[in-house]
Amino acid sequence: MPAETLRVVIVDDEALARRGLRRDLDALGGIEVVGECADGFEAVKAAADLKPDLVLLDIRMPRLDGFEVLSLLDPGIAVVFVTAHDDQAVRAFEVNAVDYVMKPVDPERLARAVERARERRRRREPMPVAAIGAALRPPGEMLSRILVRDGARVHVLPVDEVDCIEAQDDYIAVHVAGKAHLKQQTIGDLEAALDPGRFVRIHRSWILNIDRLDRIELYAKDSRVAILKDGRRLPLSRAGNLRLRELL
Amino acid sequence: MRIGLFLTIALLLGGLAATILALGGGAGWEEALLLGLPLGLVEGAIVLAARYPCQSAPLRASGMTRALATQATAALASAGAWVILGGILARMLETLPRYGGAAIRFRGGAPMLVVVGALVFLLAAAAHYLILALETARAAEVRGVEARVLAREAELRALRAQVDPHFLFNSLNSIATLTGEDAGAARRMCLLLAGFLRQSLALGGRDRVTLGEEIALVDEYLAIEKVRFGERLLVAREVDPGCEGALIPPLLLQPLVENAVRHGVAQRIEGGTLSLRARRRGEEIAVTIDNPRNPERTGRRGAGLGLENVRGRLRSLYGERARLEVATPPEAFVVTVTLPYIVEGPRTAAAAGAEVSLAG
Repeated sequence: MPAETLRVVIVDDEALARRGLRRDLDALGGIEVVGECADGFEAVKAAADLKPDLVLLDIRMPRLDGFEVLSLLDPGIAVVFVTAHDDQAVRAFEVNAVDYVMKPVDPERLARAVERARERRRRREPMPVAAIGAALRPPGEMLSRILVRDGARVHVLPVDEVDCIEAQDDYIAVHVAGKAHLKQQTIGDLEAALDPGRFVRIHRSWILNIDRLDRIELYAKDSRVAILKDGRRLPLSRAGNLRLRELL
Repeated sequence: MRIGLFLTIALLLGGLAATILALGGGAGWEEALLLGLPLGLVEGAIVLAARYPCQSAPLRASGMTRALATQATAALASAGAWVILGGILARMLETLPRYGGAAIRFRGGAPMLVVVGALVFLLAAAAHYLILALETARAAEVRGVEARVLAREAELRALRAQVDPHFLFNSLNSIATLTGEDAGAARRMCLLLAGFLRQSLALGGRDRVTLGEEIALVDEYLAIEKVRFGERLLVAREVDPGCEGALIPPLLLQPLVENAVRHGVAQRIEGGTLSLRARRRGEEIAVTIDNPRNPERTGRRGAGLGLENVRGRLRSLYGERARLEVATPPEAFVVTVTLPYIVEGPRTAAAAGAEVSLAG
């Protein structure tokens, strides 16, 4: 009995590499290549529009790299990294959630990775995207931009432009120039990725870019608010107040 | 060898002791030799053993008094012990009727023996100090050679590291793909890659290469990358004819061009033109690599390290006479390497001067 057809999107900035993967996948059978993308933005759009089962993802690409794309995909989509960079591949493998195939591509290795993706789909096992994102970030490197997906569109928010970040249940709202961008991530995960010299957790639900702070006001006994340069007032917890004072 | 040296010294010292006993104490030559030769053997051993106090009290400006005191004490003690031993031997010899009164005669030569024994010890100490100093100098020289070898190895490692392994893997991936669709193209790519590797190994093994040779290598590299990137990678090259013979360190430009492709053109979906210009400015040549970059990608993680490598090499080879400058206009990345203009031996002014003076 033939396996269910697996719908695949190939993402690689080299046309030649894409052709090679497509041919290898065709040879495996039971696979339909529904899209080919040459960069990360296209990949996010294709994944949102085409809802593939599997994305074969190059790591080093223009604009958005493979890790950033991964962080923007729906958790239901399986990902296999295809890369010549074994150090990155090893990091991907360590989180034990993403498979990887090295370039030059060994068709047997690719077949095994595809088989595992099929297996994952049968079990409806979601990808722990946040954990993967954290594990794949090179150690010591701080986030320079926050990526937010809005349907098939990706907003790139440089961290310098972020005023503050608010936790809303399973989401965070990233406030930039008066607009709130929603992203599915916990505030703790994002806090860990931001430069601790510039972003402070001032409250259970708030992270503040300290450049935006105007002053701190006492409004009741033992209770303070942070007032931003644009006039916005944010709650300041006791611990948050201590953290803020340490930095200032 | 060691034994021979020891016996020679012992024999000489024995002769010396016997002479002192014969002349200073009035012993007959037979008696003097019977006492002198064993004493010579003992003193020979003392002379060789003098190395140890020399090692434990090295001659240094700070410890000079201590070293001299140690040696003087050792000299007197060894000479005293030596003479006492001689006295015991003389008394044993006396038991034979033929050598009656040997001990008294020995006492006549003893003061002189103490002086000579102490002097011989000091002489030996001086010799040992000299030998130790020579050994130290030799060891330092060996360490110096080792350090140079290590530095050279580090340089070679740096050169090897400059050919990016990911470039190789990606190129092999291109070949693997091409084999399935265009055997001729796959073969051409193999030849390009082989040519590039052969050439980079050949150039990497030399101290200096001409700019022309380095640029030929860069051309091979770019030809390979063009197979991967297709229309996205365009190359413009502008080399003043006078520059091609200039001598530069091997694989100096290659990693810079690699950076320009990897962090510049490859980071743009539309690609771009990588331009390489070489100009002569008086006694210097300036090579500029100019590539478009993606302003969204500010971090050039690997690139910084590559530039530091090149900077380090220039500093160690040319000191202040070479430099690497980086300019970052909004959508470009421009690296300029400036080096002294040096050409092959006979064509330089200095060498020409030498030929003239030889002829005259």
